[in-house]
Amino acid sequence: MTLKRMTFLQHLLAFLGLEGRLHLEWISSAEAQKFVATVTGFTETIRRLGPSPLRTASLARSENVLTAPMRRSGCPGLSQTVVPEDGTKIVNG
Amino acid sequence: MTPIQQQVKNWLEEKRVDIFLAYRILDGHPLPHAFTREHIEETAELVTGPARYSLEKFATHIASRYPAARIGMVARDCNQRALNVLRVWNQLKDGQVETVPVTCCPSHLHHHADCSYLEPHPAGAVKQQLGQAPNQSLAEVEAQPAAERLDRWLYEFQKCIKCYGCRNICPVCFCKECSLEHAELIGTGHLPPDIPIFHLVRAVHMAGRCVDCGLCEDACPAEIPLRLLYRKVNAIVKDLFDYETGSGDTLPPFSILGDKPTMSPMPLLAAAQE
Ligand code: SF4
Ligand code: SF4
Repeated sequence: MTLKRMTFLQHLLAFLGLEGRLHLEWISSAEAQKFVATVTGFTETIRRLGPSPLRTASLARSENVLTAPMRRSGCPGLSQTVVPEDGTKIVNG
Repeated sequence: MTPIQQQVKNWLEEKRVDIFLAYRILDGHPLPHAFTREHIEETAELVTGPARYSLEKFATHIASRYPAARIGMVARDCNQRALNVLRVWNQLKDGQVETVPVTCCPSHLHHHADCSYLEPHPAGAVKQQLGQAPNQSLAEVEAQPAAERLDRWLYEFQKCIKCYGCRNICPVCFCKECSLEHAELIGTGHLPPDIPIFHLVRAVHMAGRCVDCGLCEDACPAEIPLRLLYRKVNAIVKDLFDYETGSGDTLPPFSILGDKPTMSPMPLLAAAQE
């Protein structure tokens, strides 16, 4: 089940453009070397990929989400404010 | 009386069904309506046409309150697929819902179409530049470089106003408790909601459930190409598990344990992408 879900999620994340940041491996407690190799390998992969583009973006207040697409295409930009759900006050993002 | 009005009237009079879900003109608008024996005269106002709604969702609500109710409804192909999913997920009993088929999207089988949402509108200039056009094929989306693809999806997601319209209209969203409302999963109090988590949670839950009716995309006030995203979700389910959502009698692969694993974990990503 885990295998099914993880494989599914890996494909879905790749579709969004976040490939390679999720990994699944079965390692028994007797397989210390495999553990080391996997963790080292994955750490290397992540290092190569660099910081997650979502690290700052996940709240959508970040510069990244609101301006990155616009920077890419030279668009003057849309609203960069974050609106509280109750709509009462506007805070700057 | 049109043939379909007559048919519904007969079904109700013959007690073949207790309630019939279809559309009725009210103040000039076709609205979903439940026709009953008590108000049999209303069947004269029954209409069919491009308007559509997840009538099967009403059917599940009625079935949970009145388990013995026999329900009739007009159904397009997407309604049929959704009914099938709901039956597989035990939201409706076998044979509880009887349908009168109505004209639907064009296909090689039938060319005449009658649907409020045949094809997504082509994207406008801003969307083309920044977002994901809803009328793309999955291959076209996948052809974008990964970083640009992510940018484009995030642009779409950050427009979300968390109205829950996509979930509320969805015929196969029936959970009593919705993950999208779990404060631990998705932070509350700000808009847009946590992205891409909000949309990913919904996408994951649509695996093996979404019947590609397009109602969510139609309903979304922020014009987020949700159907495109969920089409990918089901494409993955089809590719990995050969499961065709909306047809067949089995639960999706995530709900049943296989007898033995037939897959192996994906290898580490070999080379950096950039
Ligand atoms: S297309 Fe949207 S509304 Fe229709 S079943 Fe899929 S997720 Fe639900
Ligand atoms: S319908 Fe659109 S705006 Fe509303 S919650 Fe769903 S994705 Fe967000």
